[in-house]
Amino acid sequence: MSVLNNAIEFKSVFKTYGDNTVVDNLNLSIPEGKITVFVGPSGCGKTTSLRMINRMVEYTSGTILVNGEDNTARPAHELRRSMGYVLQQAGLMPHRTIVDNISTVPRLNGVSARQAKSQALELLNTVGLDESFAKRYPSQLSGGQAQRVGVARALASESSILLMDEPFSAVDPVVRADLQKELLRLQSTLGRTIIFVTHDMDEAILLGDYVAVFARGGRIAQFGTPEEILREPADDFVASFVGRDRGMRRLTFASGADVPIHPLDAQQTPWQQWQLNVEDGRPAGWRIDDRVIPGGSLFVAGGTLRDALDSVLSSPSGWGVVVNEQGQVLGLLKSDDVLEATERERLNRYGVSA
Amino acid sequence: MNIFDKTWAWFTADGAWTDSGGIFQRLLEHLGYSGLILFFAALIAIPIGLWVGHTGKGENIVVGVTGALRALPTLGLLTLFALWMGLGLTAPVIALVILAISPLLAGVYSGIAAVDPITVDAARAQGMTEWQILTRVELPLAAPLIFGGLRNATLQVIATVTIMAYINLGGLGRYLIDGLAVRDYPRMVAAVVLVAVLALVVDALLALIQRALTSPGTR
Repeated sequence: MSVLNNAIEFKSVFKTYGDNTVVDNLNLSIPEGKITVFVGPSGCGKTTSLRMINRMVEYTSGTILVNGEDNTARPAHELRRSMGYVLQQAGLMPHRTIVDNISTVPRLNGVSARQAKSQALELLNTVGLDESFAKRYPSQLSGGQAQRVGVARALASESSILLMDEPFSAVDPVVRADLQKELLRLQSTLGRTIIFVTHDMDEAILLGDYVAVFARGGRIAQFGTPEEILREPADDFVASFVGRDRGMRRLTFASGADVPIHPLDAQQTPWQQWQLNVEDGRPAGWRIDDRVIPGGSLFVAGGTLRDALDSVLSSPSGWGVVVNEQGQVLGLLKSDDVLEATERERLNRYGVSA
Repeated sequence: MNIFDKTWAWFTADGAWTDSGGIFQRLLEHLGYSGLILFFAALIAIPIGLWVGHTGKGENIVVGVTGALRALPTLGLLTLFALWMGLGLTAPVIALVILAISPLLAGVYSGIAAVDPITVDAARAQGMTEWQILTRVELPLAAPLIFGGLRNATLQVIATVTIMAYINLGGLGRYLIDGLAVRDYPRMVAAVVLVAVLALVVDALLALIQRALTSPGTR
């Protein structure tokens, strides 16, 4: 039975404001324990669709089942307490301490103050914040820290469902990458059903087990795994939405592990005098003649083919730099090897031998 | 003796503070009237302000009404009500309640309406009921503006309660009206000083309460 495996089901759901149809006959089953990403251009109804799940927006017609139960069966505030919600701006309550913010839902559900507090302290650790944050107020946090607290607050509901509305779009790219990594790490242990809204295709591919591509007018253009969507876009709209860098994005699904790693002096030839600067075992730019030029992106061993290609393309010397998890230099990548690997990946993908 | 020496002499005269009709009695009357008036004004202004601020309905009416109420001359209202209802406490209390509603209502309404809609949206999405949103999120966050309105209303009421003596009631206004009748200027100066000091002391107390009730997170 599909009902058992689907945490949330949209059945012929419409949302209209007057003559304006925002969500147009949405039929979608969201699998349990997976991250499903709603992606699409602005004004495509993805956020509205998310907010209909916990009835922050009431739909005009249709049915939404949450764990098999009609989501209008109980009062809206009870439904909302049964699922976590993370907003774009963390939306913390400025007059309450961090620990009180995290405890909001448990306290509403009647958990004792003591128990809610100790749970909140645990959750601070879970989202990678020190317990010293507990007594602070939201105004004392950076954007990234506030968003972590927002995630902790959503997790505190202990529900199996987590709604995330563009949660990382208001933080800077470095912090965003951290938060994305963190979310995947959390999800690998928690296994919640996460519905994640974004307008960023890269984020959708990175995070989603499944991706629903929304088109303007509030319809779903395609639903599938990120790889399926990149390989076979359902229509021109999806193709154009995922289109830019599509070839590059697909390399995200190929491992760069079998690209050979060359020793540090491999690039030395009589006519090319690039030399990698290494400080404390870490790469620190390239030297040519008497100049030092900042290095390109680094390829962390075991990363994707896309990372490998980027490290080669962004390196001033044309050689990608391989590091381990700790940032220590392991060796160099040669652009020919990376291109060969992409070729092997292509043949592999279509089951054709060279 | 100049006017200040005379005023000082009035303050330090035998029984000036403790006699019947002395300063203590007038102070208590003044505070009693003020408290009564603020109580009724709050009873009307706070629920309306909360409702309008929370729902966003009737904003235009509130803005219009508070502006119109501000423009009404309290002494004229007092005279009108006294002629209509006769002497006694009712007429001046109504006139002054009307005076106090305007700043209170404006403070409560604008305080609630100024709470960041994202915070309210987040609170609702966590599963708070509308009542919980109002009492646990909007009220605490609106506290500074609500207190601003309350302090404003209190200052106006304490200053204006003096006119109750005009229709034969007590309070510190007695010294002003009686002093004027017999051209006892030191007595009038004393009344002005007493009203001013009372207003400042009460305002300082409210400021302390406000500080205690405002979360350190929003200071």
